[in-house]
Amino acid sequence: MTPSVLVLAESPAGAVSGPTKEAFGVARTLAGPDGSVAAVTTGGPAAAQALASFGPRDIWVADIPTESTTSGAVAALAARAAQESASAIVLVGGTTFGRDVVGRLAVRWGAAAATGVTEVTRTDSGELRVRRPVFGGRATETRTLLGPRAVIALRPHAFGAASEIVGTPAMHLLDRSVIPANEVAARRVSLASADGASGPPLPDATIVVSGGRGLRTAANFSLIEDLARSLGAAVGASRAVTDAGWRPPSLQVGQTGRAVSPQLYIAVGISGAIQHLVGMISSRTIVAINTDPSAPIFKVADYGIVGDALTLVPALTQEIRKVRGLS
Amino acid sequence: MNIVVLIKPIPEAESRLRASSDGRQLDPEGIRFVLAGYDESAVEQALLLKENAPGSKVHAVSFGPVRCEEALRAAIALGADNATWVEAPPEGSDDPILAARSLAAALTSAPHDLILGGKHAGDDEEGLVPSAIAELLGIPSFGSVADLRPAGNPGGISFARVTEAGVEKWEVPLPCVIGLQQAWNDPRTAKLPNILKSRKAPIEKIDWSKTLAALAADSQPRSVSERFALPAPRTGAKMIEFKTPEEAAEKLVRLLREEAKVFP
Ligand SMILES: Cc1cc2nc3c(=O)[nH]c(=O)nc-3n(C[C@H](O)[C@H](O)[C@H](O)COP(=O)(O)OP(=O)(O)OC[C@H]3O[C@@H](n4cnc5c(N)ncnc54)[C@H](O)[C@@H]3O)c2cc1C
Ligand SMILES: Nc1ncnc2c1ncn2[C@@H]1O[C@H](COP(=O)(O)O)[C@@H](O)[C@H]1O
Repeated sequence: MTPSVLVLAESPAGAVSGPTKEAFGVARTLAGPDGSVAAVTTGGPAAAQALASFGPRDIWVADIPTESTTSGAVAALAARAAQESASAIVLVGGTTFGRDVVGRLAVRWGAAAATGVTEVTRTDSGELRVRRPVFGGRATETRTLLGPRAVIALRPHAFGAASEIVGTPAMHLLDRSVIPANEVAARRVSLASADGASGPPLPDATIVVSGGRGLRTAANFSLIEDLARSLGAAVGASRAVTDAGWRPPSLQVGQTGRAVSPQLYIAVGISGAIQHLVGMISSRTIVAINTDPSAPIFKVADYGIVGDALTLVPALTQEIRKVRGLS
Repeated sequence: MNIVVLIKPIPEAESRLRASSDGRQLDPEGIRFVLAGYDESAVEQALLLKENAPGSKVHAVSFGPVRCEEALRAAIALGADNATWVEAPPEGSDDPILAARSLAAALTSAPHDLILGGKHAGDDEEGLVPSAIAELLGIPSFGSVADLRPAGNPGGISFARVTEAGVEKWEVPLPCVIGLQQAWNDPRTAKLPNILKSRKAPIEKIDWSKTLAALAADSQPRSVSERFALPAPRTGAKMIEFKTPEEAAEKLVRLLREEAKVFP
C-alpha cells in the first residue's frame, strides 16, 4: 500500500485557506492513483466539514481555541495524525502558521523538512526532491529529503488550487492530551486587523501594489491604495515610505520587511535598491512605473513605464475599473 | 534573565552568487559572511532586554564552520557577554534539522530563559532552526515576532506579530524560543574599541566529536543539496511607449491580460 499524504490544513472560520487548497492539489499528485490523501485540522468540526470537499479519505480533527493554538500544540496533534494515518509526507501551506509548525513537527515525527517549496518531485529511487528559492529569489536550490518521512511547507501561490471533489471522509477525533502542558499557558490576548492596510494581507495576496518615495507625499500614497482596491490587491511600500512615516512598517517589502511572491507586483516610484528587490524578486510578473529610465527596478521588471506616477496611476486605476466593470 | 541569541553567518546582501564547481551549492570563495539580518535584530533585542533587566546575560551561539567565530565576535563587539561555537561536521552540512539538533545539544546544559533567533536566515530562508530547537528542548516557540517586551506578570514576555489573520498579541511564559522579525530599534553598530576588544575575547568551542556523541543515532543530515542554480537574468523590462497616461494604462492592462495572463 502506498502510504498516504497528510495535509495539515488551515481553515479559519470554516473557510479553507488558499495555501491549503494548493496543498491538497500537491498531495493528490504525490499520492498518485494508488495512494490516499488525508487531512488534519485543529479547528474543530466546522473546519473538518469544510475540508471534506477537497476529497481526503480520512480527516483527523482536534478542537482547540484559536487563542491557544501554538505551533507546539499543533505539531503534537499533527504528529499523532501522521502516525495514525501511516503517512510518509505532511504538506502544509507556507503561511506564518505553517512555517512555525514545520520544524517542530519534523523533530517530533522524526522527519526531514523543507519550507518555501515551489516544486516537489519523487526520484526514481522513491526519494523526495524539492526546489525552493533562496537568497530572496536570487537563486534556487534543489534538495533531496532523506529518510522515509518528510514535512514540507509549500510556498503560497506556487501551485494551483485543488478542485473540489465530492466525498464522505471518515472522521477521527484527536486526543488533546498529547499537547505538552507548557504549551497551554501561552495566550493570544488580542487579534486586530493589520493596521492601516486595506485589502488582503501582504504575504497572502496574489497581487501587490507597492509605492515608494516617488509618490512625493503621504497624501499622494492614497493613489497606490486606490489602484490596489481596483485590483483586490494588497498594499506594500518601500522603506523610504515607512521610514518617513507615510505608512506603517507592517507594509514594508524587502530585506527588513516582508518578502512577497505574488503573481503580479506593481512597483510605483520605487528605485529598486537591492534591499527592496530581495523582498519581491520572486514575484511572477513585475511592473515598474518610474520617471527615471535608468532606475534599477527596470532591470528586474517584465513591463516598464517611464513617466509620472501622479498621472499614470490614476489612469491605470480607471482602466482597470473599466475592464473589471467597476466604474 | 539568561538570553541566548542564535547566530548564523550568511553572505552579505550585495554578494555576487555563484554555484560551486560541482553545481551543488553556493561557492563561498570571495564572499564576505556577516550576521544574518534578522539575527542582527535578535542581538539588538537581547541587548535591549538586558538593559531593562540588569543582571541579565546574553549568550551568542553559532553552529557551522570556522567562520562562525567571526560572527560571534561581531555579537561580542555589540555587547554579548559570552559566545559558543558549535562545530559542524568536517564534511559540512546545510541541513537545518542537523543544525537544530547540534545547537539543542549544546543548549541543554546552557542556562536559557529566552532563546532568540531570526525569523529566517537570508540565505536558505528555511526558518526551521529556532522552532526545531524549541521542540527538541520541549518549550514553546513563535516566529515572525515583533515588539517583544517583558510581560506584566514576572517570568513572561509579550509580543506582537503580523500574520495572515491580522496583528496578534501574545503573552507567553518563559522559557521559550522566538524567531524575530523586528527589534524595537534598528540594530546598533559596534564601537571601535569594542570591536578591538572582541578580537581577543574567548570563544567556547564545542567539538563536532562531542556533538556527535551527544546526538548518537540522530547525527545524520535529513536533507542534502543537489543543485544551486541562478535564474536566467531577467532580460529587462518591455518598455511601454505612450503619448497619454490613458494610452499607457490601456497598453499595460492589455499586456497583463493577454501576454502575462496574470489579470482576468
Ligand atoms: C540594512 C538595510 C535594510 C534595508 N531594508 C529595506 C527594505 O526592507 N525595504 C526597502 O524598500 N528598502 C530597504 N532599505 C532601503 C533601500 O536601500 C532604499 O533606500 C529604499 O528601498 C529606497 O526607497 P524608494 O525606492 O522608495 O526611494 P528612492 O530610492 O528615493 O527612489 C524613489 C524613486 O522614485 C522615482 N520617482 C521620483 N518621482 C517620481 C514620480 N513622480 N513618478 C514615478 N517615479 C518617481 C525616482 O526616479 C526614484 O527611482 C534598506 C537599507 C539598508 C541599509
Ligand atoms: N547554523 C546556525 N547557527 C546558529 N543559529 C542558526 C543557524 N542556522 C539558523 N540559525 C538561527 O535560526 C534562524 C533561522 O535560520 P534558518 O532556519 O536557516 O532560516 C537564524 O536567523 C538564526 O537565528
